[in-house]
Amino acid sequence: MPYELIAVLMFSTMMLMLFTGQRVFGAIGFVAVIAAVLLWGDRGGYDLGFSAIIKVMRWYPLLTLPMFIFMGYVLSESKIADDLYRMFHVWTGGMPGGLAIGTIGLMVLISAMNGLSVAGMAIGATIALPELLKRNYDKLMVTGVVQAGSSLGILVPPSVVLVLYAMIARQPVGQLWLAGAVPGLMMAAMFILYIYIRCRITPELGPTLTEGERAEITHAEKMRLLRAGLLPIAIFAVMMVPFLNGWTSLVESSAIGAIAAFLAAVLKRRMTWRVFETTIRQTLGITCMFMWIITAALAFGAVFDGLGAVNAIESLFTERLGLNPWVILILMQLSFLVMGTFLDDTAMLVIVAPLYVPLVGDLGFDLVWYGILYTITCQIAYMTPPFGYNLFLMRAMAPPEIELRDIYRSIVPFVFVMVLALALVMIFPQIALWLPGIVYDL
Amino acid sequence: MRLLRMYVAAVDRMNYGLGRLVMFGIFILMGILMWSSISKVFFNPSLWTLEMAQFVMVAYFVLGGPYAMQMGSHVRMDLIYGALNPRRKALLDSVTVLVLIVYLGILLWGGIDSTRYSFQYGGERSSSAWRPYLWPIKVTICIGIFLMLLQALSELAKDILFLRTGTPLRHQNEEQGDAL
Amino acid sequence: APSIARAQEPIRWRFQTYAGAALGEEVTKPIIDYINAASNGEMEIELFYADQIVPTGELFQALQRGTIDGVHSDDDSMASPTPLRQFGGYFPFATKHILDVPVLFNQYGLAEIWDEEYSKVGVKWLSAAGQDPCNFNTTREITSVGDLDGLRLYTFPTAGRFLSQFGVVPVNIPYEDAEVAVQTGELDGMAWSGITEDYTVGWADVTDYFLTNNISGAWIGSFFVNQERWEELPDHLKQLVMAGIEAGHTYRNQWYWGGEARLRARGDKLELRSVPAAEWAEVENAAKEFWEEVAQEGEVHQKVVSIFREYNDVINQAGPPYTF
Ligand code: NA
Ligand code: NA
Repeated sequence: MPYELIAVLMFSTMMLMLFTGQRVFGAIGFVAVIAAVLLWGDRGGYDLGFSAIIKVMRWYPLLTLPMFIFMGYVLSESKIADDLYRMFHVWTGGMPGGLAIGTIGLMVLISAMNGLSVAGMAIGATIALPELLKRNYDKLMVTGVVQAGSSLGILVPPSVVLVLYAMIARQPVGQLWLAGAVPGLMMAAMFILYIYIRCRITPELGPTLTEGERAEITHAEKMRLLRAGLLPIAIFAVMMVPFLNGWTSLVESSAIGAIAAFLAAVLKRRMTWRVFETTIRQTLGITCMFMWIITAALAFGAVFDGLGAVNAIESLFTERLGLNPWVILILMQLSFLVMGTFLDDTAMLVIVAPLYVPLVGDLGFDLVWYGILYTITCQIAYMTPPFGYNLFLMRAMAPPEIELRDIYRSIVPFVFVMVLALALVMIFPQIALWLPGIVYDL
Repeated sequence: MRLLRMYVAAVDRMNYGLGRLVMFGIFILMGILMWSSISKVFFNPSLWTLEMAQFVMVAYFVLGGPYAMQMGSHVRMDLIYGALNPRRKALLDSVTVLVLIVYLGILLWGGIDSTRYSFQYGGERSSSAWRPYLWPIKVTICIGIFLMLLQALSELAKDILFLRTGTPLRHQNEEQGDAL
Repeated sequence: APSIARAQEPIRWRFQTYAGAALGEEVTKPIIDYINAASNGEMEIELFYADQIVPTGELFQALQRGTIDGVHSDDDSMASPTPLRQFGGYFPFATKHILDVPVLFNQYGLAEIWDEEYSKVGVKWLSAAGQDPCNFNTTREITSVGDLDGLRLYTFPTAGRFLSQFGVVPVNIPYEDAEVAVQTGELDGMAWSGITEDYTVGWADVTDYFLTNNISGAWIGSFFVNQERWEELPDHLKQLVMAGIEAGHTYRNQWYWGGEARLRARGDKLELRSVPAAEWAEVENAAKEFWEEVAQEGEVHQKVVSIFREYNDVINQAGPPYTF
C-alpha cells in the first residue's frame, strides 16, 4: 500500500474513533500503535508508543504545563482575581457593553501572567460570567466573550504553545513571544470594538450600570481598585524579570510564577482547604489530560515520520500540484482550521506542524510570523466544535439557562473576528514582526 | 456480578488513594525547580534538578492517570456521545473502551521490554553527568500504565454492571468539563 | 542479472542518525543517498534524524531489537551498553586531528576491539571515523579555565563527567532542543562540536563566543547495523554499504577540515576567544588522570587507554603537524 494512502487511512480512522466519544488520548494512541504494529510488527511496531513517553519526559518545556495550570487554578479558585474584575467593572461599567469590554481587559491581564488559556477560562467562567448574567447581559454575548478572551492566553506572552512551536520550528522563543504581543493586543481591541458596536446598536445586549450603581462607587473606591491591577503586574515581573535577565530558565520561571500566585493567595487569606484541594486535584486532572494526549500524539507523529509523510506532503504541494506559495500557505491554514475543530492544539502541533513547518520554511516564509498564524489558528480551535477546551469548560461551568446550542452559537461572531485577525496578520506580517524587529534589532 | 463489583471497588479504591497521594507531587516538582533557580542564582547550578524534575513530572502524570480517569478528566469529543442517554453511552463505551485497552496493552508491552533492557548490562544509566539508573522511572511508568489498564477495565465493568442492573456506578461527577 | 534483481522487492532499512536534520544533511545523508542510488533499486534506506523514530537514549536497544536497522552515532550519546561507551564521542584529549581516528581504528587495533565488543551485544559494528574537534560555543566569554565554573553546557556524557571537575554543569537534552534551550535559559552554550557544526545547525545564532581551545581533536563516531539485518544482506550489497560509508568518511574529512578553518577565519557570528596554552595545560593534565581513572574500570578500558597512550607517544615524538 502506498504510504500516502496509509497516512490518509490513519487520519480518517482517528477522526472516526474520535467521533465515537472514546477518550481522545485513547483514540489517537490506538490508531498510532495499531498502525505501527501493522506496518513494522516486532521490528519497531510495539515499542513506539512507549518511546513517546520517554520523548515526553525529555521534552523539558512541558514542565511549564503543570506550573501554569496550577497557577491558573490558584488565581481562579482563590478568587484573588476578584478585585481585578471589580476594577474593570467600575472603570468600564458606564459604557455600552462595558462589563463585557472589561472582561476582555481582565483576560488580557490574566494572559500576561499565564502561558495557557486555562487560567482565563476558569476565571472568566467563575467570576465574570455569573456577574454578567446577573446584570442581564445577553447570554450569547457573554459566553462568547469569555471563550474568546481566555484564548488570548496562548498568544500574549508568556505562551506555552509558542514555546512548543519554537522547539519544533527551531525558532527563537524570545522573538516568538514578542511577535505574539501586538497581534494579541490587536485581537483584544477587535473584540472590544465588536462588543462596543454591537451594544451601541442593540443596547439590551450589554446594559450599562445604572446611574444609582455608578453613584455608589466613590472616587476613592475607584482608586483603591486600580491597585488591584498591581497583582498581575507583580506576578508578571517576578516571573519574567529573572527570565529575561538570564538568571533563571523558562521552566524555573514558571515555577516561580506558580509559587508567587500561591503565596499571594495565602497572604490574602484565600487559600482555604477547599480551595487548596480543588486546585491540586484539578491541576492533576488537567495535567494528566494534556500529557496523555501529547504522548499519544507523539506516537502518531512518529508513525507519520516513519512513513515519510513530510516528503509526501511537500512533493504533493510543490511538485505535483505546482501551487503558488501563498495558495499553499492559505491551504495549510485552512486545513489547520478544519483539523482544529477535531484535534486539540498540542496534538495538531505534534502531528501536523512537523509536516508543515519545513515546507513553510522552504517556501521562503518567515517562521516566526508563521508561529503567530499557527497560534491564532489554535485559539480558534479552542472554540470550534466538536472539540475545544473552551467549549468543554463552558458546558461544565455555565449556569443551566445556557444551553449547548447557545454555547455553539455564541462563538460565531468571535470566530469571525479571529479569522479577520488571522487574515490581517497574514496580509501585514509587520503586525507580528515589528516588535521583535525593534527589540532584537533585526 | 459480585466479582465484577468487587473488582471495581478494589481497583477504584486503590487508584483513588494513589491519585490523592500523587496529586501532592506538584509541590515536589515546584520544590525541585525552585531549588534549581536558587542554586543557580546563589551557588553553583545543580547537576540533577532538570532531570529529576522530568522524572517527577512523568511519575506524576502516569501514576495520576487512573485517578484522572475516575474524575473524567480525560476529555472526549462528545458531539455525538454527549447527546446520548446514559444507557447508550454505556453501551457505546463498553465497545470503544477496547480501543483504550489495546492502546494501553501495547504501551505496556513496549514498556516492559524497555524496562527489561534497563536491568541488563549492569543497569542502563542516563546519558547525563548525573548518570542516574533508569530502571526506577521505567518501572514506575510500567506500574502506571498497568494501573491505567486496570482502571480502563474497571470502567468497562461499571458499564456492564449498569447495563445489567440499571444502577449507575460510574463516578457521579464524571462530567467532561469538571476537569477543566 | 540486474533485471532479475530489480524485479524483487528492495531490501528496506530504517536508519536513524544522532544528528538533527541540518547537520545530518552533511554527515549522514550523502552516505544514504549514495547507497540508495548505487544499489540500483535493490536497497532502499530511509533516513531519520535525531529522535525522530526513537529518542536517542533508546537508540541502542531499538537497534538491537530491530526497531531501527541502522544507526550513525557515537557510542557515548547513544548509551552503548559496552565498555566502549566512554571512548566514543569525545574521550578527553585522545586525538588531535580528524585523521587520528581512522589511524587508531585501522592501524592501532581499535577496530578489532569494537567489532568484538559489539558482536557480544548483538549489534554489527561497521566502521568508525573522525569528525570535528570539541570546542566550546557559549553566551558567556571564556578566557581562563576559571570561566568554566558554573557554565551549564550541552555536552557528551563522558566529556561532561570530565568537565564537571572545572565546575561545568553538563545538561542532557535532545539534540534538536539545544538551540532553543539556550534561549530559554536552560543552557549557557555547548561543548559539543567544532565551529562548522555551530554554524550549520544554528547554534552560532544563539551564542556569542567560540573558544579555540578544545578538549579533544576529533569526534569518534561509528556506523552500526542490526546483526540479523546485516547477515541477511547479500555480499555485494555489504560491499556497497561499506563503500558508501567510506565515501562519506572522505567527504566529512574535507567538509570539517575546510569548515573549521574558514569559519574561524571568516565567520561573523561567533567571536573567537582563547585560553593561553600554558593555562589550558591544566585541563590537559587533568585528562591524564582521567584516563588512568577510566583504565581502572576494566580490562577492555585498560586495552583502549593503552592504545591511546601508545598512539599519543608516537605523535608526540613525531612532532608537528601531528601535534598542531
Ligand atoms: Na500568556
Ligand atoms: Na476545536
